[in-house]
Formats: sequence, C-alpha cells, structure tokens
Amino acid sequence: MWTANVPERNHVGGSRMMQVLKHLGLFRRFVVQAAVRETHYRMNLITATMVALVQIGLGLLPVFVMFQFASEINGWSRAEVVAMSGAYQMVSGILTTFVRPNMMYLGRYIVRGELDGVLLRPVASQFFVTFRWINLAELVHVVIGSALLVAGIALSNARPSIVDIVQAAVLLLCGVVLVTCAWSAAMYLIFWMQRVYPLIMMFQSVLEAGRYPITFFPALVRVLLTCAVPVAFATTFPVQALADGIGWTPVVAGPVLCLVAVWLLRRYWTYVLRLYSSASS
Amino acid sequence: MSSSPDAKTWSDEDRELRGQRMTVVRPLRVLARLIAINIGVSLIYRAELVLFTLANLTIPLISLMIWHAALRGGARLPVDEHYLGTYFVVLGLVTMLTSSWMMGELAGDIRLGVLSSWLVRPSAAWLRYVANNLAEKILKLTIVLPVVGILWWIYRDSVALPSSPLIWLAFLVSTAFAAILVFALDLAAGALAFWFDDVSALSQAKFTLSTILSGQVVPLALMPAWSQTFVDVQPFRFMVSFPIEVLTNTFSRGELLGGLALQAGYVVLFCGLAWLTWRAGVRSYTAVGG
Repeated sequence: MWTANVPERNHVGGSRMMQVLKHLGLFRRFVVQAAVRETHYRMNLITATMVALVQIGLGLLPVFVMFQFASEINGWSRAEVVAMSGAYQMVSGILTTFVRPNMMYLGRYIVRGELDGVLLRPVASQFFVTFRWINLAELVHVVIGSALLVAGIALSNARPSIVDIVQAAVLLLCGVVLVTCAWSAAMYLIFWMQRVYPLIMMFQSVLEAGRYPITFFPALVRVLLTCAVPVAFATTFPVQALADGIGWTPVVAGPVLCLVAVWLLRRYWTYVLRLYSSASS
Repeated sequence: MSSSPDAKTWSDEDRELRGQRMTVVRPLRVLARLIAINIGVSLIYRAELVLFTLANLTIPLISLMIWHAALRGGARLPVDEHYLGTYFVVLGLVTMLTSSWMMGELAGDIRLGVLSSWLVRPSAAWLRYVANNLAEKILKLTIVLPVVGILWWIYRDSVALPSSPLIWLAFLVSTAFAAILVFALDLAAGALAFWFDDVSALSQAKFTLSTILSGQVVPLALMPAWSQTFVDVQPFRFMVSFPIEVLTNTFSRGELLGGLALQAGYVVLFCGLAWLTWRAGVRSYTAVGG
C-alpha cells in the first residue's frame, strides 16, 4: 500500500524536459535489447511471416466472397475494402509489436507481485509497464499490411495528394494511440481480475471489427467503434482520407482526443495503483 | 471351501457380468468425477470463463453485421436475410459446443511426461481430456445460451427457427456428431506429439484450414460456385456448418438423411484414426519425468 502514496515525481527528479529525454533514451534501450533478443530466435521471423500471410488471407477471404455478389457496398469498392484490410494489418502489427507483449506481462507484475520492482525503479511506472517489452518480429505484419494498403489504394484508382497522405498518417497514428489507451484501460481491470489472457482475447476480438469500414455497422456499434474502442480512427478514417479525402475535422480532433485519453489513462493508473497491495511481501 | 459345479458356473457368470458392467460403468464413474473436478477448477476463474466465452461470440456477431450490411447495400447473395441471421446467431453456440482445445495440452503432457502418471491409473488416460472438454462446455453453455437468446431477440425479424421437433432432434444429433468429430481429430493430431517434438505449426495449419472449411469465416453456401462440390463433401463442413444448415431448414428429407449418414461415416473414420494413433503412440511412448 505504501508504494501508492509515494508520488512518482519524487522517484524521477530533474526537469520535465530531462525526464522526457531520459524516457526516450530508455525506450531506445528497450528497442536495442529487443533487437538483440530477436537475433537469438531467427526462425521466429519466418514463423511470424507465415502467420502474417495466413492472417491476411483469412481476412481477405470474406471480402472477396462478399464482392462476388456486389461491386459496391455502402459506397465502398472492393479495392478500398482490401486497403482497409491492409490498414488493419498495419495497426494490429504495430499493436502486437509494441503493446501486446506488455499487456501479457501486466498479469505477471500484478499476480506475482513483480510490480513492486517496477515501482521502486526511478522511472515513471506507467511508462515502464506500457513500453518495456517489444516483439520486433511482429513488424512483418506492418510491412505486409502497408503493401496491401498501397496495393488497395492503387487498384481503387484514387490518386491521393501529399496532404491526403499526411492526413492519413496522422489519423492512423492517433488511432494507434487511442486504441492503446483503450486497451490499457481494459487491461487495468487485471487489478480486480488476476487473469490477463481473457482480457487480451476479448479486446482483440472487438478490434477485429476494424477490418471493415464503420459504415458497415449499425449506428450504435459505430459510436462504440469511434469512441469506446476507437479502431475507426486507426483504419476507416485513414483509408477514407486516401480514397476520397476526409477534411480537417477528424485530423484536428484526433490529436486532441489522444491528449484527453492519455490524461484520463494517467489518472486511472494512479487510481488502480492505490488498489495494489503487493503480492510478494 | 467346497464348491459344487453349479456354484462355480454361477460365480464365473457373475464375474463375467461384473466385468462387463465394470468396463462400462467404471469409466463413466471416473468420467463423472473428473468432470466434477474440472468444473470446480474452472469455477475458480469465473470472470475468465465469461470473458473467453463472450470473446468467442464477438466474431460471429461482427460477421452477422457485415453480411447484413452487404445485403442492405445491394449485394445479390444466393441466400436470404433469414438464412444469414439464423446462421450467425447460432454459429457462436455451435462453435462452442463442437470445439476442442486439447491438442496443445496433450502435446505438452506427452513431451513433459505428465502423461505417464495418467497412463498408470486404472482408467483410459484420454478420459481426462474428455472430462475437461465436457466440463467447460457445460459451464460455457450457461453463458452462451442467454447471450444467444438476447441476440436472437435483437435479430428476431431475420432469424427463422424451425418449429418441427424432428429438425431440432436432427440438429442435436448432428451437433453431437460434430463435437465427437472435432475431438477425434484433435486427439489424433495431438497424439502426433508422441513422434514429433513440436506440433504447434501443425496446430496452426489445422486451425486455419478448419476455420475456413467449417464455415466459421464465411457461410459455406457463399463459397464460390466452382468449389461447391468439394466444400459440400469435405469433413470440416460436418464440424460446424452442417448442424447449422440443418437448423436453417433448407434441406429436403433425402439431403438431411444423406448428410447425417455422411457425417456418421466421418465420425467412425476419425474415431478409428484417433484410436490407431493413440494406441500406436502409447506403445512407443518412453517418457521422461512424470
């Protein structure tokens, strides 16, 4: 219990700018360590590539089957929905590289009491539990996904301008940040639940909806996919920006929402930390 | 003790009768105990069970919404809204009832020698996997049924459930067959760990093949026309799709009976395969640890 009462600032020390630089440096070390670890398991990359190809195939199958019977659904052509599949694979690749391993570890921290060790370190604890573990082999998904996205856009005869591409990139990044926040928020339920895997599975199942344009879903689900599990920002909006242009409203709203989400998540973390009573001592 | 020939015949016959009863009754008693133990263990992590089950229901729900959008968006599908509604509302239930998840566990038990302590017990070692399967399904059913009920209510206009009790009976029979089929395939594939150290690639391949060919990704009725003949007779169809097809009530009597017969044939075939692999594996088994 005592750990929660020690403000994090006391651990860290230094000016705000110094802290940011220090944490960026730490993140760089995490990446380097992950790269070294990856060289120990070289076959892993081949497995990851095969799995990525199979997942792309599984994701594309319904799309191709569906467009046997229609040339356009709710204003979306086949090529555009294929581009959506690519965007989804990219985003889920980023998440499985940088976020998922940490979510898997979260259970260990809480159940085995290893969070004690995290809280004692001179780093921001939330930063540490969110970014410590990286699985670089999963970046294969990002490579294959982006190829599919480019191919889909090219086939759709859309000719996005530089502005469209910048907008799409901003939206996709915001989407990743927002989904990460939502995922973390769901994962912090571990402080009450003890078992981490079902939470991950549940979240990833809902995320699957991001394969399809949100206009395919009923109004209520659309709200859910924009606000609660904001995967629309990560997949539908970027592809829309590339295919038809999307305007500046969501591009401005995205970063603002990200700031709000990160702020809320930080409040949430300090709250759940107060519930944590070390399991190791 | 003096024994008349008469008494001797009696006791022999008695022993034989007892033996016969024991080969049937004892495994069932063991199974019942194991199921009770498994239920107890699963009940420790209730929230986990609920979330797992809900997660598995999410994907069919997404599919349902997507295909409805396709229909409303003007796609000319070879099936109507009722077929799709019924298919995807029931899909989650049938997938749960017919699933098997023992392959990784069995492979681990074989590799690590855990199986040894089960092989020396006076009951079939694979009963333990049957018990785990049935126990979790009993518990999951208490979660899936209400959820499917709610889905059915939300989509009641596009779900057409049959009224004939015979169709429901056929549905139950074919679901049971499907569950046995999936379990037997899982047992046979997992038992390959008697000879190979790592069956995870095989497990992945089996998963991919079965999710597509059993109709979990796309209803088999929507598969391209050129693949239809193959899709209709391959065994994976009878692991998930066929029971749901029975319930959508699109079969003639002949088609229904023919399908059930083919499914029963696959059950015999796959159980035989599982039995052969298991027996050969156990005989060649030299495990460490235990």
